[in-house]
Amino acid sequence: MSAATPFAILLVALAGAGLVALLEQAVAGARLAPAAIGAAAARRLREPLTLPASYDGWLYHGAPLLLLLAAVAALATVPWTPGFRGIDLDSGAILFAAALAYVTPAVFMAGWGSGHPLAVVGGFRFVALMLGFAMPLAMVITAVAAPAESLRPADIVAIQAGVPMALVQPYSLALWLPAVMAVALMPPFDTATASEELAGGAFARYTGPEAAIVALAQRVLVLAVSGMTAALFLGGWHGPLLPDALWMVLKTLAVAALLLWAGRRLPRLETDRLLILAWKVAIPGSIAAIVLAALTTLLFYR
Amino acid sequence: MISLPVVLVVAGLMFAIGLYGVLGQTNAIMVIMGVELMLGAAMLNVVGFVAYAHPDAASGAFLVLITMTLMAVEAAVGFALVVAAFRHSRTAEIDDLTELEG
Amino acid sequence: MSALGTALVFWPAAILMLVWGLYVFRTASMARAGLLLLGALGLEGLLFLALASQFLGVLMILMMSGEMIIMVFFMVMFMSDPGGLMGMDMTHDKRRSAALAAAIGIGLAVLAVATDWPGAVVSPDAPDVQAIGYEVMGRSMFSFLFAGVTILFAMVGGVLLAKEGGRLGLAEPGDGTSRRDERT
Repeated sequence: MSAATPFAILLVALAGAGLVALLEQAVAGARLAPAAIGAAAARRLREPLTLPASYDGWLYHGAPLLLLLAAVAALATVPWTPGFRGIDLDSGAILFAAALAYVTPAVFMAGWGSGHPLAVVGGFRFVALMLGFAMPLAMVITAVAAPAESLRPADIVAIQAGVPMALVQPYSLALWLPAVMAVALMPPFDTATASEELAGGAFARYTGPEAAIVALAQRVLVLAVSGMTAALFLGGWHGPLLPDALWMVLKTLAVAALLLWAGRRLPRLETDRLLILAWKVAIPGSIAAIVLAALTTLLFYR
Repeated sequence: MISLPVVLVVAGLMFAIGLYGVLGQTNAIMVIMGVELMLGAAMLNVVGFVAYAHPDAASGAFLVLITMTLMAVEAAVGFALVVAAFRHSRTAEIDDLTELEG
Repeated sequence: MSALGTALVFWPAAILMLVWGLYVFRTASMARAGLLLLGALGLEGLLFLALASQFLGVLMILMMSGEMIIMVFFMVMFMSDPGGLMGMDMTHDKRRSAALAAAIGIGLAVLAVATDWPGAVVSPDAPDVQAIGYEVMGRSMFSFLFAGVTILFAMVGGVLLAKEGGRLGLAEPGDGTSRRDERT
């Protein structure tokens, strides 16, 4: 990690958020209009900041910043190429989960701070949802790290030079995708923040630059979880012919497109049904995934 | 620069803050929060000792892991007690939970 | 991490941690209290990172998020005044507890400074993830298993304790505090 790394990560976050916004247009079947995204952002930034009638200042203003911080920190752990690995820690995969764990307090802060009953309910919904889905997220990371015998994302990419992890542990991928979609506030798991639910939910009362920060942070979250999915399950930068960086970018965008497309096609479930899914299917399933990952490691990776 | 006494002073102050919460708050959940802070201070102590006195002692890190477990267990059992007490007497204020006083 | 880097992370994080820790017990809003505690303990994770305990730091940051958000839930549930808008006093023995806490804090600080700690101050080089793993799965395995069983007991015991008509039972009807009074 050099002194330029933080700036490079911020650049990736901004450029990637733009690409994710473009993908959203493509998935929605609309004509691609990069100018419209820029214009919308500029309009948001010029908009005056109107505050809710009764609100908790510290929590209300802190929430978008915490959300952005969590998103960028999660993005920073993604290894892009052998030369550009972001924050390259021994326990980087755990840091990814730790960064995403702060999306929950951010949404709760936004909901509570807005001082509107429906927003508070939105915050509570998201906490309930993430209490269920944070567990599979962390446990699947353990399952994927087992063959690499390392929690460093770059090492997990290196072990997939031959076979990508999605083929070795498809069940882990099946548990991972709903969990990351839930934590990235993506439909159909966005019952706390969607505009169709709870009159907009936790973030509905934000305006102007703060709304722009929230929108940016959501795109960065999508980028971060897609990048980590590409790194942990699809072999990261490994691929024939094309250069490393291009493979990684292509895989990340493919995962992001898949997640966004699935989000538009799948129906939203009620929170209690999502919780049944999390507690009765995903958590026992991820414990089984850890056991299977240990067996796989002993049989094929040693 | 940072040395072992600095870490220990910070941990000691954190412990004192936790103690202030445990002694001065009337709500049972706030008391649990104070205990969490005190356990956190203990963990900071251990990490300081590991960093400056025994840099290669993994058992120190293990002690911190056990303390984290303890924090979770303490919170879980504490919450369960509060729920049980609240069901019984409709309050979580420890000043009102005086039934065992003769 | 270099000595300068450690100091640059340590001082702001330590000061902010202590201030937020203190404000947990000074604020009237329960949501703020819980989130401030989350902030203080998350910053403690940052202190661990600065002291080169990388795995513990990251784990602390991860664990505290979940634990403290549950704490906020319980605060809001069991507090008569969760928003802190009614100016309810939630303290007792204010002066005595503050005095005792200050005395103990000063005592601990003096003890920490005055003691001649063994060994010269070494550059922080804490055990890495693998060493902790071998410790957990080697020498300390029995303790670790015991911790796991303890968590299981806490979960089962907690549910038994908290369920309707649990360990303490419902209050006798007629004393004004029982839920049976409300139903009839």
